[in-house]
This record gives sequence, C-alpha cells and structure tokens, in this order.
Amino acid sequence: MKGYWKYFLNKLLWFLVTLVCAFILNFILPRLMPGDPVAAIVARLAQGMSNATGVQAIYQQYADLFGTNRPIYEQFFLYMSNVVRGNFGYSFSQYPRPVSEVLGASIWWTIALQFPAIIVGWLIGNTLGALAAYVKGGFDKVLLPVSIFVSSLPPFGMAVILMAVFAVNLRWFPTSGGYGFDLLPSATWSFVWSVIVHYQLPFWSIVLIAIGGQAIGMRSMSIYELNADYVKYSRFLGIKDRKIVGYVFRNAMLPQITGLALSIGTMVGGALVAEIIFSYPGLGYTLLNGVMGQDYPLISASTLIVTIMVLIANFVIEILYGFIDPRIKAAQAD
Amino acid sequence: MKHTIRQIFRSGKFVVGFSIFVTILLIVIVYPLIITGEPLGIIGQGTFFPPGIYVSVYDSIGSPSYTLFLDDAAAKRIASKLSNDDRLAMKDWLIADGVPENQIDITDTEKLLDLWEKEYDPDKGLPGMTFAKQRYYQRLNDSLEGLLSTEAAIIAAKNAETGVLEETGVVKQSDYVNVGEVASVRVLPFGTDNFGRDVLTELVAATGVSLQIGLVAGLIATLIGLTLGLLAGYVGGLMDDVIVFITNLFLVIPTFVLLILISFSIGQEQRGPFVIAVVIGFTAWPWTARAVRAQVISLRNRDHVNLSKLSGHSIAHIILTDILPYIASYVIMALILQISLGILQEAALSILGLGPKTTEDPTLGLMMQWAMIYQAHILGKWWAYFPPLLTIALITFSMNLMNTGLDQVFNPALRD
Amino acid sequence: MSKVVMLEVKGLTTKYITRFQEDVYAVDHVSLTVEEGRSLGIAGESGCGKSTLALSLMGYYFPPLHYMSGEIIIDGRTITEMEPDDIRREILGTEIAYIPQAAMNALNPTQKVIDFIEDVIQAHDPYKTKKEIYDLARKSFEVLGLPADVLQKYPVELSGGMKQRTVIATSVILSPKVLIADEPSSALDVTSQKMVIKMLKNLMEYGFIKSMIFITHELPLLYNVTDDIMVMYAGQIVEKGTAQEVVFDPLHPYAKGLMGSIIVPEKGLREVELAAIPGVPPNLKNPPAACRFAERCKYVRAECEANPVPLHYVGGGRAYRCILPEKELRDIYAKEARTREVHEHAR
Repeated sequence: MKGYWKYFLNKLLWFLVTLVCAFILNFILPRLMPGDPVAAIVARLAQGMSNATGVQAIYQQYADLFGTNRPIYEQFFLYMSNVVRGNFGYSFSQYPRPVSEVLGASIWWTIALQFPAIIVGWLIGNTLGALAAYVKGGFDKVLLPVSIFVSSLPPFGMAVILMAVFAVNLRWFPTSGGYGFDLLPSATWSFVWSVIVHYQLPFWSIVLIAIGGQAIGMRSMSIYELNADYVKYSRFLGIKDRKIVGYVFRNAMLPQITGLALSIGTMVGGALVAEIIFSYPGLGYTLLNGVMGQDYPLISASTLIVTIMVLIANFVIEILYGFIDPRIKAAQAD
Repeated sequence: MKHTIRQIFRSGKFVVGFSIFVTILLIVIVYPLIITGEPLGIIGQGTFFPPGIYVSVYDSIGSPSYTLFLDDAAAKRIASKLSNDDRLAMKDWLIADGVPENQIDITDTEKLLDLWEKEYDPDKGLPGMTFAKQRYYQRLNDSLEGLLSTEAAIIAAKNAETGVLEETGVVKQSDYVNVGEVASVRVLPFGTDNFGRDVLTELVAATGVSLQIGLVAGLIATLIGLTLGLLAGYVGGLMDDVIVFITNLFLVIPTFVLLILISFSIGQEQRGPFVIAVVIGFTAWPWTARAVRAQVISLRNRDHVNLSKLSGHSIAHIILTDILPYIASYVIMALILQISLGILQEAALSILGLGPKTTEDPTLGLMMQWAMIYQAHILGKWWAYFPPLLTIALITFSMNLMNTGLDQVFNPALRD
Repeated sequence: MSKVVMLEVKGLTTKYITRFQEDVYAVDHVSLTVEEGRSLGIAGESGCGKSTLALSLMGYYFPPLHYMSGEIIIDGRTITEMEPDDIRREILGTEIAYIPQAAMNALNPTQKVIDFIEDVIQAHDPYKTKKEIYDLARKSFEVLGLPADVLQKYPVELSGGMKQRTVIATSVILSPKVLIADEPSSALDVTSQKMVIKMLKNLMEYGFIKSMIFITHELPLLYNVTDDIMVMYAGQIVEKGTAQEVVFDPLHPYAKGLMGSIIVPEKGLREVELAAIPGVPPNLKNPPAACRFAERCKYVRAECEANPVPLHYVGGGRAYRCILPEKELRDIYAKEARTREVHEHAR
C-alpha cells in the first residue's frame, strides 16, 4: 500500500500544479492581448449611453471588480480569491444575473450528458476494438474503416447528422433543448420523460464519436499485445487460449485508460460543440451565448470550469489506474 | 526510398485515402478555372434555394416552343400542387365540416375538388383549429384555383402608352421549351445558402481555405513539436525535464479551452484565417512533442548514433543525419494528423462564433456556422450544412486512412 | 551413456503463409534425433530457419506457421498425430518446453511470476492447490539458485539476466523431457550470459530436463554447451555431427565457411559470429530446386545446379548435404590450408 500512496501523492501534486497553471493561463491569456479588458467591456456595455459620467462610473466599477488599476500580481490574487469564493462577477449578456448563477444552471447538464456518454463510448469502443483484433476477418474489415470514418467526423457533425435523421426527418426525437419548451423544471413524470427524450440525440452523438476513436486505439493495442512475446511463450507452456486472451485484453486495456485520461480534454471540447447544435442547456451553449454577447466574464468563467472539470476527470482516471495496473504499486515500492 | 514508396502504395487503405484526398485537391484547383465568379457573390434573393436547375422564366417565354402531347402531364401538374398530405387535410376539413366520411374519396381528384369547392368556406373557422391551420387551408384553396382547367395561360404586356394590358402570347398546356435553347440556365447542384450564394462555388473556395488553414496549423504544430521533442529526447537533462513538464501541462489542459480564450482575446477584427491557423498550430503541438521525444529516446543509444558521437559530430549534425531520417515516417504521420486536426479545430471554433472573421474567404467551419445560425439543420435545408460537413469528414477520413496505411507499412506488427 | 531417444524428428516440413498468401518453406524435411542426456546445437545465419525449426518442434502450430508433413516423436509418442488441445494439455510444458529468443518480454508484464507459474501448472493439472504450486516453485527456484522472493515480483522489477533465468526456471518447472532454447543469452550482458549458460548446463544435471536443443549464432557457445551440432542453411540441414567434428572438421562448404572464423585465437572467441560468407541466402518463397548453397559456394560446379542434393550419411550420425564425396572435400580444404600457410610465410 505504501507504493500506492506514493503514486497517489505524486498524482495529487501534479493535479495541483496543473490546476494552478491552468488558473494562471486563464487569467493571463486575455490580459496578454493588446487592450484593456475592462475598457472593452465598458465600451460594449456603454453602447448607446451618452452620459459620460455614467460610462466613467461603470468603468470604475469594473476596474474595481477586476482590480485593473493595481499591479498584475495583486490582480491575480484578487481574481483567485474571487474565484475561490465562487464570485465571477456579473454576466454582461444576462445582466443582472451573476456568472456563477448562469454557470450553476448549465454545469450539471453538461456533466450529466458528457461523462456518461464518454464512459459508455469508451466501453463500447474498446469492446469492439478488442473483438476486431481477435476475430479479424470480415468483422475487422468492416469495423476498421467504419471506425476511421466515424472518428473522422467532427463531434458536431455527428450531432447534425443524427438531428437531421432522427429529429427532422423521422421526428422521433426533439431537435433542441434539454426539455420541452412548454415545461418548467419539476419532479413530475412529464418533465423527467421530456428530459430523457431530449437527452438521447446529444448523448448518442457523443457516444458514437467516442466509439470510433476508442475502437481504433484498442484494435491496435490488442493486435500489438496479441503479437507480444509472452503470448507465444504462454501458448508453448500449454496455457489455454482463453486465459491468454484474458492477459492480452487486460494489458491492451491499460494504455487505453491512460489514453482516456489524456484525450478527455479533447473529447469534452468536441462534445461542447455538439451541445451547441442541440441548443442543449449546458456549458457549450452557455459559451456560445457568451461569445455571441461578447460576455467576457461568462467566457472566462466557463473555460475555467471546463478546465477544472477535465483536470478532475483526468486525476480520477489516474487514481483508478493506479489501482488497476499492478505495476504502479510495484514500481513505486522501492 | 523507392521501395518504401512502392510498399506504401500497396496498402489498400493508403491508396483509398490518397485517392480521396487528391480528388478533393484537384476539384479545389480545377473548379475555379471552369466556373469563375466570386465564391461569396450573392446571386439569389432569399434564403436556401433548393438544389436543382434554375431556368429563366422570362427567357423560357421567349424561347421557341414545341408542342408535346404527354399523357401524364396533367397528372403530374395536379400531383405537384395537391400532395397526399393536402388531400388528407382536405378530408379532415370536410369531415369536421359535417360531410359523411364515406362520401369522401381522396383518390378521385375531380370528385374531391368538386366537393371541396361546394363545401369550403375560407372565413369559416372550425372548432379547435389554430390560426396557422386556417391560413394553411386558405393557401391550399388558392392554389387549387384552376387546377383542373385545360385553358391556356395568357401572357400580357402593359402597353407603354395606354397602360392597358395587351395579350402578347398564349402558353398552352402542351407547350414545351428545350432547356438547351433557353438563354439563361443556372445549375445549382447544392442550391443556395442563407445569403443566397451558390453553395457549390462557396464550398470549393471554403475547402481550399480550410486546407490552407490545416496546412499552416499542421506545419506550425509539427515544427514546434518536432523541435521540442528532439531537444527533450536528445539533449535530455534539465532541458528534457522542463520540456516534458510543459508538454504534459498542455496535454491535460484542454486545447479547445485555450483556443477559445486566445481567439476571443484576439478580438474579432484581427481574426483572419491565417491568424486562426497560427493560433491552432500554437496550441496543437504537445502530442507531436511527446511522440517525437519517445521516438528519439529509443534511438538515442543506437550504435550508429553512438558512432556519430564518437566521431565528434555536432549535435545538429547528429540530429539531422542520424536521428531525423529514422523518425521521418513518424513525423510525416504526425503532420498528416495535425493537418486534419487543424481543419476540425477551425470548424469547431467557427461554430462557436470564434472562427475567422472574413468577408472574402469562406471556410468550411464558417459555412457550418452560417447554416447553423439560420437553422438550416432544423428547417431540413440539408444542402446548406451537409456538403461542408461531408467535405470535412472526407478530408479527415482520407488523411486518417493514409495514416493507418502508413502505420501498417512502418509498424509491421499491425499488419494482419 | 544410455541410448534412450528423447526426441526424434522425421522429415518435418513447415511453412509460413504471408499476408499476401505466399508460401515460405522455412523448415524443409528436417530429421534429427536427440538421446537422453545429450544436447544438440543448431547453427546458421539469421533467416536460415533455425528459429522456425524451434517453433515447429513444439508440434503446436498457429498462423502464420503451418504444419505440412513429417513426424515428431517425443519419448515414444508421435505428437504430430495428436489433436492440438491434447498436445496443449499433455505435451507442452510437460514433455517439451521452450525458451524464447526475446525472453525480455516473455513474461506477462501485469502478472506476478508466481501467478504465471500457477497458470502454467493449472493448465495441466487443475486440481493442484496454490500451496502446492508455491512450494514446488520455491523449491525449483532455490535449486536453480534463484531467490524465492522473485516469485512475488512483477517482471518489470527484475533485471534482464534475472528475467531470463526466471523464464528458464518457469519453462522447466514441470520437468519436460526436451527443452528447446532459442538464443537464450543473446540480449544479455556478459555476466548474465555466463550465469544463464551455467544454469542451462545445470538443468540436465539436476534432473529438470532430459535433453536439450540449443539454438544460437554464437559458435563458441555452441561448442562449449552442446554435444552435437547441426548446421542449417535455407531451411535445410546441411551438416550434422558431434560438436568436435562439426567445428574442427566441417565437410559442407557452408559449414566450412562458418567455422573458418572460429580458430582465430587472438580475436577472442566470444566476438566471433557466424556468417562471414559473401552473398545472401536464397529467397525461401521460391528456393532453388538443386543445391541451395550453389549460388554462394566457392567450389560450385555445373552438376550442383542440376538435381536436388540428398543428405549423405557417413556413419556415426555424421551427415552432410553436398554432391562431392567426403574425401574430395577434405582434399580441397587441405590444399586451401596449405596455400594460405604459404601466403602467410611469404609475408
């Protein structure tokens, strides 16, 4: 167990370091660009406002909020302490709603949509990839090109296609939203059913894309492992093929788990755009609204939340991986 | 070298991918030579004209007319005005109006129209009927006017002096023009988009721009990744530690988030296609750096590298002659991957509204964005979003196929 | 010395089918005999079919390798007539065992050594308890000079030499009658190599195995470890005899070429490897019908390329595959040696 703790602490430290770096990037990138973000914000806010003192007042208010008149390191700590308290300022496009409230309403939609979808896609993809490597023949000949094609589609493309087929033409599912536009969130059956129906297309568009990529990866990993020396050696010692296949898939699966940790950021990014296609009330759609409304605080906060979500997911996968791969404990022990 | 190339072209996957890609490239190059005209020129007034052959109505009248007696002409004319859905709707109206169901035969057009003419009253609202539905019946009624008529249509022109309409010609139902003889005909294989622009011409131009974005982004990402990977892998030590730290950092922080932040911060005015390509390139390198580093480390202690070191060659010389040639195939695969990734990233950014800001050059992502904003996907105007989407998919598919093919040639373990 | 035959192979032919559906005959009518208590070395350039022969001797084939014809008899049982699953259960590991060329990766990386041994033993005897298996494994490891705590480790935790010795100990855990070792020491450093060779030599002495086939391209090793030597060229046996005979009195021109480099003391025996003969072996997709070595042979004549050359037995298990009589070959070699001496004196 000592080995595992070492691994855990190592990963925790790495998680914290990346978190801080992500924080700094999120803070510094917009400020590296020419121009004063507050001036830009105020310019937008003050459109059509002729009262110069009013503009000045707004400027002062935001300059205080962001602390732009202070040195940069003070600004950073101000930003940090605000963020830690969940204070992201007010949304411009949805004024006077605070950003935290806008995000609070959308973040759960995204979590509930993306993480199950990515996990389901990962599981199905790996199973298919392993089967293709093991069964070979026709199954592999069909699956590989199909997987390559599916994974070549951008996630929003899969979303558009599913929508065109199942929502616009067949009318099996609604085209947009997280629930019926005539309903209010409540614990009634009709609302829950509406949520389930609206969930399907965004969910499967993410799942299908994930399946494609994972199946290709798992297929290569499995073929690689099937040709590994230990397979031949185990066979020549009389171990049953079924048992050897067990070794192979376990070993092929391990890199797929670390692969998932590394690609989860890309997958979430793609899925955010897929959300937009369905006007799903998650972070993707919030981001779009932010961009359309030039809503700087909303964008900054959404990207930060997305980053933190991805980093946490990444951390959790690494931690689980430490349990699954026996070599981790062994390698850290001495 | 020749042998390797021959082997690459023996891989079915590579050949298929390569053919698709070259076809797309050829279309992008050849099409503008044949069909000249502004890719973003607005030729249509109105949104989303469906794909088809557009024949000038005015010119048709002036074209020589031929008389053809075609039996199915009348049936076709009726069918195009009165669809099965319309017939069912008429039946609904009539039933609601109190006509017994067994008296309505929707397959007998003549009888149905007779009955309709007798019973329908545009001002009469039926219980439970929405306003929209009522309007629908009114429109339907208007379009049915004269449907069964066998009279010719009269063409009249206004007399410039008197202002009175004077008959200038008659168009009989059996009159035909030859499309080839009509002066102005325009084929719009993919119709027009939301601004009334020819989708195909726009698509070809957009494909060209997107490919360039992909190429620039891919080259930048590969160059940065290659340089960092070589430095980290070959030089090692502190350099390695620092580069590995930065690479791992940018691997876990979602690239897409960085793209959003940077693109947004640059501001709309500065965001041209080239700038977007550069931004994508500068955020996409970590994969390549990591992969190159791993390759270099496995090469670092090979005999030929050691020999070169003992011979006192400089680091640059060793990297150029003893390392690069051995990872060249790998770098090319990484470049192909980065190019297709660049095209995808541009599209995703554009859909978010953070793509290139341009009024001259369309990109595949921008075409998608315009279609999405005008709800082409919900309205079922497939020609506005499907062609750019399919093009993106075909480009990335062809590149992934080429990569899989190359992979199978260079990693024999993956062969069977 | 007893005369019980442990392994007898008669006319074994196997082929590879490539992914372009081409046949490659890598083992072509090979016959050999190994008696109890003896070891046979197989030499040849890489690609001559010696590793394929090692795989083919197991009697258990999977793509791309396919069995064509011939017999493999282990201690009286003709395994080429058995069903694959029976071979797996009754022969592999218990009658004949294998040490792979790249033993570095021969162990499943995510399994402890003892768990793998457990799988091996239970594949043949599902009723053996964990305790029994552990005791057996510990005993064998200790006898072979391996620390017992290796059993509780993962392969990544073992050094290269230790990994190779673990593989050897695992291969012989069920006391097979025949052990086939395919270049077991080629990827190791000198010290580990010595330990591995010492261990292999001890196996028979301690009763873990009854006979051994040892494949290597390092001649001195072959001479030091094995009793008999067989030289392969292009999928065929070209010469066989005792180690002494083949090394110091080779008959076949190819064997002569290989051995020519061995008696150069100042160079240090270890450094000397086989294959100092110009040219490349023939393509086995389409081997010449007549003598396969003719293309590279210094003494080639017109008759060489006319008919297939059979293996000539010259008594005492000695055999070679060349159309020239034994005496004529010896005369040629003697003449050559004299001219070489004259040249050296002249300098």
